Amino acid sequence: MDCNDCVERLYAFLDLELDEKELAAMRAHVSGCDDCGDELGLEARFLERLKECATSDVTPPHLRERVIQKLRGASPPTT
Amino acid sequence: MATDEFEAEALRHLDALYRTALRMTRSEADAEDLVQETYIRAFRFRDQFTLGTNMKAWLFRILTNTFINTYRRKAAQPEVTDLEGVDEFSLYRHMADDRAASSSPDPEAELLKGVVDTEVTDALEALPEKFRTTVLLDVEGFSYKEIAEMLGIPIGTVMSRLHRGRKFLQKRLYDLARERGIAAVRTPQKS
Repeated sequence: MDCNDCVERLYAFLDLELDEKELAAMRAHVSGCDDCGDELGLEARFLERLKECATSDVTPPHLRERVIQKLRGASPPTT
Repeated sequence: MATDEFEAEALRHLDALYRTALRMTRSEADAEDLVQETYIRAFRFRDQFTLGTNMKAWLFRILTNTFINTYRRKAAQPEVTDLEGVDEFSLYRHMADDRAASSSPDPEAELLKGVVDTEVTDALEALPEKFRTTVLLDVEGFSYKEIAEMLGIPIGTVMSRLHRGRKFLQKRLYDLARERGIAAVRTPQKS
């Protein structure tokens, strides 16, 4: 695997979507290539930051309440 | 699955559904409607949920379908559907050029911390809808295959949308950091 192959598979690697063979080839390349290792590190930090920002919103209490009401209102009465 | 068991399990995913709906619709009111509609449909079709399978994925499939069928049609503004030219953007290459001129020991960390959360989410909301939806489903931890199934697109399309979507976000955050003069990416003053 060369640097181009590595960059091409970078997201698949970080998304845990590579098969074992490709994963091993990628690991072997990155362990010997500082440049690809650094790029991988930067992309990993970017994805982490994106996730952190995109998953911080919480449901407004009134919506939670309304959803529960809807679910209970829709359920058949228990006898 | 007993009704109360179904309710408890479905409600565990409310925050994830809400925040995704919020970014999909870009409106609090629409997000609330979309989430309620999702739960109503989920409850109506709860017999179709296979016990022991992934409830989060099942709910997100309903959310995504409802969004596509209802809100995508409502979207008033025409959207740019392609992200031409962002493919080649490399945050790493840009940072490498800046690194030489930067006094920061860790310019990448400075850039990523220097942009505030709302700037990141604004950038996310600026993504054209099909890219945004794909990125959001990825953020929620779904696999390429699950995203492909939810959106009815090939896995290769999921991968290219993620790639372009992420590059778009990086370019936007990089430009923003530059404009604001975050030290790590500050252009050196010419004397």
